Amino acid sequence: MLATDIVEILLFPGLTFFVVVAFLFDWLDRKTYARMQRRIGPLIAGPSGVLQPVADFFKLTTKEEIVPEFSDRFIFFYGPPLFFAAPAIGTIFIPILGETGIVSNDFDLLFILFIIAFSALMAALLGYAASGRWSTIAIGRLVVQYTGYEVPLIIALVTPAVLAHSLSISGIVQAQQSLWYVILAPLSFIVFIIAALAELEKPPFDIPSAKTEIVGGWMTEYSGRPLAYIKLTKNLSYAFLSALVVSLFLGGPLGPVLFSDPNFQAVLYFIYFGIKLFVVGFLIYVIRSALARVRIDQAVRFFWMIITPLSMLQLGLIMILWWK
Amino acid sequence: MTALNLMIIGGPLLIVIADLIVYLAVGKLGTRSSGKGNKFQPFTGGEEQIPVRGTYQSELFVFAAIFMVVEAFALLLAGSFASPTNFYPLLFLGGGGGAILIVTWWLLVAGGVKF
Repeated sequence: MLATDIVEILLFPGLTFFVVVAFLFDWLDRKTYARMQRRIGPLIAGPSGVLQPVADFFKLTTKEEIVPEFSDRFIFFYGPPLFFAAPAIGTIFIPILGETGIVSNDFDLLFILFIIAFSALMAALLGYAASGRWSTIAIGRLVVQYTGYEVPLIIALVTPAVLAHSLSISGIVQAQQSLWYVILAPLSFIVFIIAALAELEKPPFDIPSAKTEIVGGWMTEYSGRPLAYIKLTKNLSYAFLSALVVSLFLGGPLGPVLFSDPNFQAVLYFIYFGIKLFVVGFLIYVIRSALARVRIDQAVRFFWMIITPLSMLQLGLIMILWWK
Repeated sequence: MTALNLMIIGGPLLIVIADLIVYLAVGKLGTRSSGKGNKFQPFTGGEEQIPVRGTYQSELFVFAAIFMVVEAFALLLAGSFASPTNFYPLLFLGGGGGAILIVTWWLLVAGGVKF
């Protein structure tokens, strides 16, 4: 592994870049949510409050970490960085400066599916480790919701793979040179966005972390640095899933080629990717700001009775019409 | 081992190591406290009854965990059909599948299964 590879993985366009995007997403989320409620939102830290999520992160890290008496200490302490590692690893497979990601192979889409599953299970474990009343209720909701949204999420992810005849994210991006898959598979795009809302525990599927019902959900017992990491992970997952939507349905960083110099073109790819990423992020903010929370039984019924058949219908249509 | 294969294993490993180093370094900023007494009891929402730690009996968790295992192996099986070599399916089976199985095992024990 070369020094440039290490820089790419840890700094740009890898981990650090996505952490910055995660902070920006948090700020945009809060700002959009506030605007839709006729509030102002973050204002003080940085221009228009853009540094507020960073300030909140460091504030939390300097606070006292209280370890509950009955908690599982190992998971309580080392679970949050492992929870963070799941979406962080996923980011290195996303193509940003060209048609391939920092790391790419023939089966990275499967790896991404593992990451999504691992992330949900880690959240369940973190809730268990805290051993609190509200955490236990929240984890019950989390696993039930998980069994609802996971199947349509996978089917929606597989549809672009079937279209591109590739299980590689870079391969799927390269196959969208002439036509984005959001046009060929619009139902899968919608299904993925809805399932991503459930994965991210955003309204109307914020059932596992419903503040008015179960305090802080599965994060109730966490404080200080572990809580800061958990919140950052949720925002990183937000950025990662948005980037995945861009790669699988919106052609990734691809766009009009204006320069013959690969370095200038890489800058252009980065700009295309950034615009698409924030458009998808904004779409999720608007949906989450406009809708109210549903009950857990309504959510699971919705996923099994409507979303899963829709995703299967789209996959079936694609296999009938486009199978070579 | 080719440079590409090294990146596939080394990339995620590098992120995990960097993540742990930053996490431990950031931990120096704050203080940590543990012990007994009211401050260290789980939040009860103002009620007097304090929940004690124990195994949670729930068929739902067991069902969800089994669902996860079946799903993970179905994905591996589906992915391996188009594989030109056995390397990547085995890598995912060992890395991804192993990680999920460990977590699932933990979840099953917490859900009340006795092995």
